Amino acid sequence: MEPIVKMTGIVKQFPNVLALKGVDFSVEKGEVHSLVGENGAGKSTLMNILYGVLQPDLGEIYVRGQKQVIHSVRDAMHLGIGMVHQEFMLAPSMTVVENIILGFEPNRRSVVDYDAAAEKIRALSEEYGLAIRPESRIIDNSVGEAQRVEIIKALYRGAEVLILDEPTAVLTPQETEDLFKVIRSLKEHGKTVIFISHKLQEVLAISDRITVMRDGRVQGTLLASEATKEKIATLMVGREVFLNIKAPEGKRGGVVLDVQGVSARGRRRLSDLKNVSFQVHAGEILGIAGVDGNGQSELVEVLTGLRRVDQGDIFVSGTKITNLPPGEIRERGVSHIPEDRNRSGLCAELTVAENLVATKLKRPPLSKNGVIRGQAVRELASRLVEEYDIRPGDYRIPTRNLSGGNRQKVVVAREVSEDAQLLIAAHPTRGVDIGSIEFIRSILIAQREEGKAILLVSADLEEVLSLSDRIAVMYEGRIVGILPASEANEQVLGLMMAGGEYAKAQGEEEKVVEA
Amino acid sequence: MFRFSDVLTLTLVRATIRMSTPILLAALGVIVTELAAITNVGIEGIMLVSAFMAVAASYWSGSWIVGILAAVAAGVLIAALMALIHLRFKANVLVAGIAVNMFSLAFTRFLLVNWFGVAGSFYSPRISPIPRINLSILAAHPVLDTLFNNYNLMDYLGIVLVFVFHFLIYKTVWGLRLRFTGVHPLAVETAGVNVTVKKLQALLISGVLGGLAGAHLSLGYTTQFIENMTNGRGFIGVAAMYFGGISPITTWLASLFFGFTEGVGARLQNLGFPSQFMLMLPYVATVVAITFSMIRQQRRETDKQPF
Ligand SMILES: Nc1ncnc2c1ncn2[C@@H]1O[C@H](COP(=O)(O)OP(=O)(O)OP(=O)(O)O)[C@@H](O)[C@H]1O
Ligand SMILES: [Mg+2]
Repeated sequence: MEPIVKMTGIVKQFPNVLALKGVDFSVEKGEVHSLVGENGAGKSTLMNILYGVLQPDLGEIYVRGQKQVIHSVRDAMHLGIGMVHQEFMLAPSMTVVENIILGFEPNRRSVVDYDAAAEKIRALSEEYGLAIRPESRIIDNSVGEAQRVEIIKALYRGAEVLILDEPTAVLTPQETEDLFKVIRSLKEHGKTVIFISHKLQEVLAISDRITVMRDGRVQGTLLASEATKEKIATLMVGREVFLNIKAPEGKRGGVVLDVQGVSARGRRRLSDLKNVSFQVHAGEILGIAGVDGNGQSELVEVLTGLRRVDQGDIFVSGTKITNLPPGEIRERGVSHIPEDRNRSGLCAELTVAENLVATKLKRPPLSKNGVIRGQAVRELASRLVEEYDIRPGDYRIPTRNLSGGNRQKVVVAREVSEDAQLLIAAHPTRGVDIGSIEFIRSILIAQREEGKAILLVSADLEEVLSLSDRIAVMYEGRIVGILPASEANEQVLGLMMAGGEYAKAQGEEEKVVEA
Repeated sequence: MFRFSDVLTLTLVRATIRMSTPILLAALGVIVTELAAITNVGIEGIMLVSAFMAVAASYWSGSWIVGILAAVAAGVLIAALMALIHLRFKANVLVAGIAVNMFSLAFTRFLLVNWFGVAGSFYSPRISPIPRINLSILAAHPVLDTLFNNYNLMDYLGIVLVFVFHFLIYKTVWGLRLRFTGVHPLAVETAGVNVTVKKLQALLISGVLGGLAGAHLSLGYTTQFIENMTNGRGFIGVAAMYFGGISPITTWLASLFFGFTEGVGARLQNLGFPSQFMLMLPYVATVVAITFSMIRQQRRETDKQPF
């Protein structure tokens, strides 16, 4: 059978990088086809070309055997190609229905026929098992819901081929499971899905075929049934990858972070912090596990001065930092990898170098008497770019032009090089390819070996389990238990994350470890 | 002696409605642009030039209809000038608006001298005003007569337009796309709708409404042109738009409130209260309008990525 989409010899040159170096890629009708590859390999670029957002410099695109030139998103839609970007194209203040029908409004003499729209949307929602609330505003929707709205929007516009760019990066494990049900149902209805993810487990679970990209080229296409994690990883990175690094237990030092009975107002009521207490020692990684939205973000914000503490106190190496401004907290030896690199981790318009040195400008050698020393900035920037393998290697380009994973490396490089006593790392490997995950994890462990205290927040249980010395589980703004990593496993943590106490999870009361 | 009854009379209701009309028309114009993410403070200049052209055309032709048409045409032209500055040359919209306002003030002063050889103001019995509507059945009853008679055409038109725009904005395809243009232009663009065209449409419509507002000032509310006769009413329109939550019906109420303050102010002044209060109003409105617009701009920024 003829492939529904076939791209041949696609070349795309950006001002600083040759992002695609002659890519051949084809997708059969009705399959789930995964696209994997390191950060910056060119996955998003390739898909943006198919979706009409970008134009290729060379190469041809065939849809259902017909050669096509896709000038715009509208062209792509007419060909039945839809895409859900990682950054949603939804207006937060508008309703779900309004967002879906925009541009393709059912109408009678230019008056929007909301009844017809609602009818059509309900039908799609039922057919594919996409639960949404049509009358609600986007802002009142969770990330998972918003993503379903995006999928319905694409289907509403007649998508036969649906591109999902890292849809699971922002989802909880439960939401991911729901998304997979939807993808399976789409497949049953004869739709074609192109799925991009860094999580190989997911890729193996959902795909029929897997195409691996590296450095702007396709390395090969495998049948999922014949692929293994190791095979894919090796194709992706060009060498073997070791994810389950487990460093020998570290030498635990004195208390660095001491949180005493902290309460604070949260973004939602469920995420209000309620009397949270714990300590992190030098030479220790304390992992915080929990389903997103149970107060982890608020906890990090409170520790870094981004949210007011209503009650309780926070000490770093014995100094009280409660409600100090973020800058002063940094000066007292706290560095922070924020959960949202785009909003609070980086300034996308500034160059890579500027982002790398932003937190260090006040001190020598980067500045002298308030004047920035360009030479010193360039030296540091080029050293960090090299050390952290940030690609492309040119630190003078705006951070906006980096792929998602490379942006994350900029943040990690800046914060780890702060050499602070306490490193707060929120989802440090989100959206990062496996090669870089391995790299970032090894850096965290190296930091621990140097005697740094590390607070690691991650929605990825595997990450928490493999890195942490102790694990605290948060549920509805409380810490429901802290346990040594040696006693934790996915089942226990899973139960605790759902609100069960450690004791009950274990079935043995006396094993409760004091918070 | 100061007595409330001297201020709160039936004629105050009339004054409120009449004074609110130009504010309302301006506010409707800036609602349309604001929805497309353009805070159109240039509405002040649009109104001023329109007021002048209304008088000039009415004077030469002897017809108020020609006067209104000229005002609308002038309003659209000035709005097109703004579109050129903002959409084509990408100048900040507040800066574009202020530039247009300064230009309008100087331009009308220049034309006043050049065409009519006067400075300050121009009045002539040959200027044909917009007719007032009197229903004889109401005239018999003094209360009803004061309350409902003797408004000019624009006062009614303003109220009709409130409902027309409510319908256009909330019920039509055009309105839906307009509302998205302001909050998520990229979504509009990827849906295949040209954002610049939407913004241009919005600006031109505000030109029409600003034109009507100007014509009302110089041919309805009074029958003359005075230098800077808009005196901040465009800005007050912007403030009313924000107070009304960028929605026609509530903005109408806000316009009535501003009309009411003006009415009360005028009365208090007659009773010997310091006139500075009245004179202050436009400036207060300006500060309020610009403050709100900055706040909204920031919110738009943060709105972009709710997740
Ligand atoms: N608009 C742009 N301008 C300049 N360079 C760009 C632009 N978009 C992407 N690039 C570059 O093109 C290359 C491919 O980027 P792309 O976003 O396609 O990677 P990706 O495979 O999607 O990575 P990730 O997994 O991190 O999302 C990268 O080197 C990136 O820096
Ligand atoms: Mg990408």
